[in-house]
Amino acid sequence: MNGTKSSAVHGPQATSGLRILTLRVNGSVYRCAAAPQALLLDILREEFRLVGTKRGCDMGTCGCCNVLIDGKAVPSCLVLAFDCEDKEIQTVEGLSLEEDGHLHPLQEAWAHSGGSQCGFCTPGFLMTSKELLACNPNPSREEIERALSGNVCRCTGYQKIVDAVSLAAKNMREWKEGGKQ
Amino acid sequence: MRLPEFQLHHPTNLEDLKDLTRKLQASGDCFDFIAGGTDVLPNYKNRLNPKTQVISLSKVQGLDRISPTCLGAMARVRDLVDHEDLARVFPGLVEAASLVASPILRNLATVGGNLLLDTRCYYFNQSEFWRASKGYCLKADGDACLVVPQKEICYATYSGDLAPLFLVLDAEFELHGPKGIRKVPAREFYQFDGIRRFVKNPDEILAFIHIPESAQNLRTGYRKLRARDTIEYPVMGVAMGLMTKKGKIEQLEIALTGSEAVPLWYGDLGFGGEPVGEDTAEGIQKALLERVKTYKNVPFPPGYRRSMAGEFVKELFLKLA
Repeated sequence: MNGTKSSAVHGPQATSGLRILTLRVNGSVYRCAAAPQALLLDILREEFRLVGTKRGCDMGTCGCCNVLIDGKAVPSCLVLAFDCEDKEIQTVEGLSLEEDGHLHPLQEAWAHSGGSQCGFCTPGFLMTSKELLACNPNPSREEIERALSGNVCRCTGYQKIVDAVSLAAKNMREWKEGGKQ
Repeated sequence: MRLPEFQLHHPTNLEDLKDLTRKLQASGDCFDFIAGGTDVLPNYKNRLNPKTQVISLSKVQGLDRISPTCLGAMARVRDLVDHEDLARVFPGLVEAASLVASPILRNLATVGGNLLLDTRCYYFNQSEFWRASKGYCLKADGDACLVVPQKEICYATYSGDLAPLFLVLDAEFELHGPKGIRKVPAREFYQFDGIRRFVKNPDEILAFIHIPESAQNLRTGYRKLRARDTIEYPVMGVAMGLMTKKGKIEQLEIALTGSEAVPLWYGDLGFGGEPVGEDTAEGIQKALLERVKTYKNVPFPPGYRRSMAGEFVKELFLKLA
């Protein structure tokens, strides 16, 4: 075995062998020094202070840390930061930037439908839902449930979340047809 | 959870990749390849056999093509699910891809990564703290298997969804390494040992999967048993390819995942030429059950998983006939 057990499982990121990391996040260029093994989640939260992205299971099975990479929702806890240097990343903070500082239709629908209780899982659900609505502007409830099946919520029982995505889809279609920018 | 420290390399083409592996081998460094990361990184977080050098394949060009006769190993599982040609020709393969993990993991996971998935076991896929408390196993840091007590072979369970389909389709795996390119039939690729796992050398990558055109004559299907309808690995999976002529079996291919340390191909179990119908379906079910082995190292009791292999094979046969 060629193990490297000396580095801590938790605690501060190791600082040996740092390299300059350049990422494009929410339309802006961010730079920092990072270890080769740095995860995108850690860089977003600890270096760029984009703490809307939450750390959940750390194994890709809860969806709390989902961000969009080139439009696809992925768990940032399983993505090496240096693999993303030529990619376009969007975090939950980027949603309102798209709407000139106002809430994104998904966020409005979440608030209206009671899609959040403790709110910890919400950023991940929002990003997965954004990918879904970009691919399918008029999803059925079953399609929404299937698309969100990699996200875990311990509070809502999911029905309010599905309601929120349905409402957001309806509003976005209507606004698009009505010419809202 | 922090990853252990390692050096990360990003070759951009297969030639650079070969040079890099040659160089690392010459310097005596152990290394892993990483594609989507959904299997390797959780294992690294749990300190399961991490290496000090990691080669990311994310920037290697030309490995993501998809067609009914050739799949690039870096094609994302999600892209298989969305591929209309593939869905028309091999619905079973696309069905299996659609059942891999969850939508967000399929966005990251690659076809090659799924085929080379590390074997899984109660005693292996645990935190460093858990394993230290229980006592390490043969596959990581210990010297004896905790499932079947002996020191020779690891009995961890192979849990990829796509491999049984490629066994059914009689695919060939194209391996690239410093010593050149070679093709290995999928049916000869896997080796019964949860540690060694396959005939691929550590310095080779799986680059392409070739599917013979004759496989397009098969009707394909896949059934999967898992603890939840999303995210989970198969604890039993059955793939089938079937061609019939005048109400009789012309070709039957059956393969399993989630049962032993390798995905297993059973061919037609001696039922070639038999008439299609309930009696034959029950015969196939009985013949498969005589051969299937399961071990107590993943969720669900071994007997239940074994019996579900029988139910799935019967159901698939009647559906595809």
